Amino acid sequence: MNFEDVIESRVRPLAETLVREGLEAISIADGEIEIELSRSLVQPLEQAVSPTEEAAGPGPEYDVLTSDVVGRVRFLRPPVAAGSVVDADRELAFIEALGIRNPIRSRGAGRVAVVYVEEGQAVDYGAPLFAIDRSRV
Amino acid sequence: MFRKVLVANRGEIALRIIRACRELGVATVAIFSEADRSALHVRLADEAFCVGPGPAARSYLNIPNIISTALITGADALHPGYGFLAENSRFAQICTDHGITFIGPSPRVIEQMGDKANAKQIMDSAGVPTIPGSGILANLDDAKKAAKSIGYPVLLKATAGGGGRGMRAVASEGEIGNAFASAQSEAEANFQDGRLYMEKLIVRPRHIEVQILADTHGEVVHLGERDCSIQKPSHQKLIEETPAPGLAADLRDELCKVAVRAGQACGYTNAGTLEFLVAGDQFYFMEMNTRIQVEHPVTELIYGVDLVKEQIRIAFGEPLGFGQADLSPHGHAIECRINAEDPERDFAPDAGTVTAVELPGGPGIRVDTHLFAGLAIPPYYDSLLAKIVAVGRTRASALARMERALAETRIEGVKTTTAICRRILEDARFQEGGVPIDFLDEAFLREHVLTEA
Repeated sequence: MNFEDVIESRVRPLAETLVREGLEAISIADGEIEIELSRSLVQPLEQAVSPTEEAAGPGPEYDVLTSDVVGRVRFLRPPVAAGSVVDADRELAFIEALGIRNPIRSRGAGRVAVVYVEEGQAVDYGAPLFAIDRSRV
Repeated sequence: MFRKVLVANRGEIALRIIRACRELGVATVAIFSEADRSALHVRLADEAFCVGPGPAARSYLNIPNIISTALITGADALHPGYGFLAENSRFAQICTDHGITFIGPSPRVIEQMGDKANAKQIMDSAGVPTIPGSGILANLDDAKKAAKSIGYPVLLKATAGGGGRGMRAVASEGEIGNAFASAQSEAEANFQDGRLYMEKLIVRPRHIEVQILADTHGEVVHLGERDCSIQKPSHQKLIEETPAPGLAADLRDELCKVAVRAGQACGYTNAGTLEFLVAGDQFYFMEMNTRIQVEHPVTELIYGVDLVKEQIRIAFGEPLGFGQADLSPHGHAIECRINAEDPERDFAPDAGTVTAVELPGGPGIRVDTHLFAGLAIPPYYDSLLAKIVAVGRTRASALARMERALAETRIEGVKTTTAICRRILEDARFQEGGVPIDFLDEAFLREHVLTEA
């Protein structure tokens, strides 16, 4: 199992449980693998984020969500914006392609650090849509 | 005219289509894979959309993303080039269903010609000579009867066959018993299907094809023939020329007449090519290619017709601006395909970064290429790097120009077919003209490739 598979199959469900159950820490061990997750239950203040940090672009801990399809960006109501905090795997927007709705999910909790696109914008494969800061949950 | 054409291809043919559109005043949309982000077609088109990762199945064959790109950009037509989706009738139908004109023949014709048995039947009934063959052979007696009516030598083939398995050449009735039994058991072992049929064995034929153009108003013309007998052992073409050297005038006329008749018979529109095997004064229909072909420039150079522009005009519904009487070839043209391949290793594709490029020029030379120094050749696609085309008043002058052009060509960083093309041009039999499709056989390659190092 490679690192990404471990994240996908083991860490992510655990992180979702952590958030869903309102826990502060969780750990498991099964002989093959040991995972320990913890989080601060104190919501960081929006003001704590300086505009210069945003302008500098996503840091290494940011997760950039990209488009798999060619289509147009449609935001949900109310639209997600930079600074929005998502507490779990949520639909942030969708890409409309050939009349089909392709949801863009946050893939877990985090704070939306950057919104790269506008309502109705045409995007292609690999186009960055959102940067999610996983460290600020 | 169309407002905007989506170019559903990459490499040199994408550039060729973009150039034709620009000259017609039509805007272009390129598509590309993540592996082609720095490709020339991305830069030369008016707009460019990434449609997927490197592997073609997820990008250049990604029908939903390609159609979505056309709709989003407001492209009203799509040119498929060659390869990828060019002969996919379902894709052509999807384009039509979305109000995008597919620049090529109708989905129905693409489908008919894509099915070999169906195509053969249509050609048969249009009076086009096809390779004589049998239906499924029930037993050895059946095979003997079929062979007698077709005439030896014959080829036994497995209906489920491929890659030469379950295939036997039979020279005379004395050999047919053994050949039938071994072909049948080989087919059973390989395909769990021992059924065999028979075709006439065409001995050392030439590959000669005829270019046609057909508009949507019922006009069909031919633009002469191309001799594509210089093929790699895998039957992929390496050198093509027109006119076919030494081809008797009456045979050439007959081939061209038959090609036009075939186009009319199947309700063809747009550019197409009928491929024939020619042996002595006999010729046989092999298949029809329902797209622009790699080797189309040689025809363009001696007829003075821009085939890609004609494709676009025809697709828009314009009548051909000329009839058969207006078309006359001038001179001789030849094309060498410069591929990123290693002739010493069975022409295995070679990927890598091209570190230096010097391309030929001067009188009578045309180069269609997407190459530039620093280009990283992705491992996912066709290995064609450049088409060097030479034209002259005579075959001798075209060959002299080609030899000069190949000597000027320098591509570093990957193995190419430049040197093997030069060896072929130096060969006395090739210079004499009219060689068969097995010219580039093992003996030639052993002599000229393996001893080079």
